[in-house]
Amino acid sequence: MIDRPYDVLSYALLVHAAPYSEQGALSALRFAQAAVAQGHRVSSVFFYRDGVHNASTLMAPPQDEVHLAEGWRSLAQEHGTELLICVAAGLRRGLMSAEESARHGREAHNLEPPFVLTGLGQLVDAMLGNDRVITFAP
Amino acid sequence: MMLHLLNRSPQFDGLYWDLSEAFGADDHLLLIEDACYAALPAAAASLAAFGGRVSVLSEDAESRGLLGRLSDDVALVDMAGFVALTATFPRSLSWF
Repeated sequence: MIDRPYDVLSYALLVHAAPYSEQGALSALRFAQAAVAQGHRVSSVFFYRDGVHNASTLMAPPQDEVHLAEGWRSLAQEHGTELLICVAAGLRRGLMSAEESARHGREAHNLEPPFVLTGLGQLVDAMLGNDRVITFAP
Repeated sequence: MMLHLLNRSPQFDGLYWDLSEAFGADDHLLLIEDACYAALPAAAASLAAFGGRVSVLSEDAESRGLLGRLSDDVALVDMAGFVALTATFPRSLSWF
C-alpha cells in the first residue's frame, strides 16, 4: 500500500461536451488521467447530450492529435472506468451499438465496448455512489 | 465549501454575476478553458466579487498564450492541482 498524504477518492465525471468542437471533453480526459495518476479512482464517466459523440468507433482524428475515443478506451482498459453513454442522447444522434442497430433495422453500428449505452438511472447511481462528481461543460 | 468551475470568458458577464451571487465565504473558483481570460489584469473587475479565492488552470492559460500575463492575485494550478482542489472541496459546481 502506497502511503499517501490524502484520501483516495472515487470520482464520477459527467461530460456534456462534444469531442473537438468544445474543449470540455479533452479537459475531462486530462482530469481523469491526472486523478488516476494521483491514486484516485475514476469509477465512471457518463456522456450526455453532445458528449455522446466521444464514443464513436469511427472517430478518426489526424494522427498527431489527441484521439479522444482512444483515450477513453485506455482509461477503461487500464483503470476499470465504466464509460456510460446516455441511450436517449445517443440514439437521437446516431450513436448505436450492434444490438441497437439490429433492433432499429440499421446496417451499421458505431458504438462498441467498453462504451455502453445506458440510462439516466446509471447517472444517478454514479452521483450517489462516488465521493465526487465533476461536470465538464460544453 | 464549494469549488466552482468556470469555463466561459468574461464576455459572459451575466454568468459571472450569477456565480458571484452564489459564491459563499468558504468557496473557491477555478478558471478553466476560456475563463482563463478573466485572470488577465484587464479583466480584474470580472473577478472582484470572489475575494481573491481564485485559481486558474495553467495548461489552459498556456495554450492561450497567457502565461506571464496573468494577474498576481490569481493562483496558477496544474492539472494535478485541479484534482487536488476537487479533493479538498467536497462539492463542485460547473458554470456554463
